[in-house]
Order: sequence, then C-alpha cells, then structure tokens
Amino acid sequence: MNLRGTLPTLILEALEQEPKHGYRIAQRIKERSRGVLDFKEGTLYPALHKLENDGLVESYEETENGRQRRYYRISRVGRAALAKDRDEWRTVSRAVTLILERG
Amino acid sequence: MTMSELLERWLGRATKGLSSDSRLQVWAEIRAHYESACEDALAAGASEADLDRAAVASLGDAAAANREYRKVLLTSAEAALLRETRCGVWSGSRRWLWLLPTLILIAAVRFFATGDAYFGWTMLTGAAGFTLLFSAFKLPVFTPNRGRIFRALRWLWLAAILALTMKGSWLMLITSAWPLFWVEWKLSSLRRKLPVSRWPKQLYL
Repeated sequence: MNLRGTLPTLILEALEQEPKHGYRIAQRIKERSRGVLDFKEGTLYPALHKLENDGLVESYEETENGRQRRYYRISRVGRAALAKDRDEWRTVSRAVTLILERG
Repeated sequence: MTMSELLERWLGRATKGLSSDSRLQVWAEIRAHYESACEDALAAGASEADLDRAAVASLGDAAAANREYRKVLLTSAEAALLRETRCGVWSGSRRWLWLLPTLILIAAVRFFATGDAYFGWTMLTGAAGFTLLFSAFKLPVFTPNRGRIFRALRWLWLAAILALTMKGSWLMLITSAWPLFWVEWKLSSLRRKLPVSRWPKQLYL
C-alpha cells in the first residue's frame, strides 16, 4: 500500500514507546500494520533525516551486538506533532468511513 | 559481513551528487540496515543465495532514494558553498578590511562638505552597510529569529545601495544583484536542510 505522506507519522508512532534504529523502525511499521503497509526501506532514512532536521526526532550513536548503530528517539515537539496527526487522522478516517460505508 | 557488489552499486546510485560527509552517513546507515536484514533473514531460514538480492530489493529504487536524500542531505555543491561561506572575507579576522568602510566614510564627509548630498548619502549608506557586514560576527545575531532580522537589514541595505548607485534602473539592479539572490537562495536551502543545532555561524548571517 502506498505510504506517501504518512510515513513521517508512522515513524513517530514507532518511536513513541522507545528509541529504535532504522531497521527496527521499518520492522515495527510492517508488523503493526500486519504487512499491509509495506514500503521501500531506502526511503525510510531520508524521512528520518527530515524529521531530525525539523526537530521532531533526535539521534545518537549506540553499540548493538558490537556494531555502531544510529538510534532515533522522539522529541517533545515530535510527540506534540504525533498527537496532532492522530487527531487529524481520526477525523479524516471517520469522514471517509461515513462516505464509503453509507447505505 | 562484507558488502555485496549489488549493495555497493545501489549505494553508488543512491548517493550520487551528495557531499562526502553525506555519502559516508548514508553508506553507514544503509550498510547497518542491510546487515540487520541479512541476519534476520538467515535466522528465519532464508538461503544465503537469496539473502543479498532480497535485502537490496527491499531498499527499493536507488534513483528514488537519491532524489529523497538530495532533499535532506547536503549535496557536494552545497557543501562547497558552505566551505566558501565559512572562509568569507568579512569574517572579522582581517582588520585591514575596516579600511574600506573608513575610506568610504571619509569620502562621504568630503562629498557633504562640497555640497554634493547625493554622493554623500550614497557613500554614507555604503559605509554603514560595510560596517554592519564586517561586525556581524561580533553582533548577538546567532539565533534563528535574530539571524532573520539581520538578513532583512542586510537586504534592505543592499537594495538601498543598489537603488542609489543605479539611480532606479531596474534592469541594472536585477542584472547586478542576481548572483547575490542565487547565493541567498542556496543558503536558504542549506538552512532548511541542516538542523539549527548544526548551523555554522555563516548560516545565521
């Protein structure tokens, strides 16, 4: 399914509970959507950089299994943006459901 | 785990035109991603023969990734511009540069003294602008909002000096000012790409 425009919100959701590196973020999105939201993982990192540039996530280096990985965590501004996106999505989703499931 | 030829080719295309720092960053993150994907696939019982192809295929189109990376990471041209701006001549470290506004100010006084107010004002505006530019590094302008105010003042000065020297010829104004607009446009792209915490001082000015 095409994720255009929603990937940043899904990334923020994936980071809401705990910091993760890029691969785990991609896995989390696929698992939580039960495989419906499948995307090309090469586009994940540009989206992460954009979120970092906008101050919605912060990154830091950490070692995992002897390998240096870049972890991302959601910032305070990012949490506020996620809450706003959630509200908007609920409103839009309710409206579309009303239209498509009428009758 | 060694990097496969397929992955190397993907990275080459995805990082085309990016600065060396950006390229290194992308290579490191995609390589770590690839290794995790291979480990998970191996643990799930995938054959070694399919690992590489599947891991690289999951990254998607390298050209599309390159387009996305160019929007958020510095290209080699932008990194070069940043380097040039970094060693800008008005860094304040070269005291002899202050000769320029001083000489212009002396000229302004002379023009006013001889009754030529037009050239007097032109020179005075020039001296004020150069003083603003050369003292920029010592001014408290290194926050995003103050930087915006400084840049607005600098553009006002530039517009005033060009209007005075070109005597309202818009064609001359645009012709002589377009390189400045181009540089400013490139710098504004850098400001969007880099988080404020990583802005060098030059990006505020």
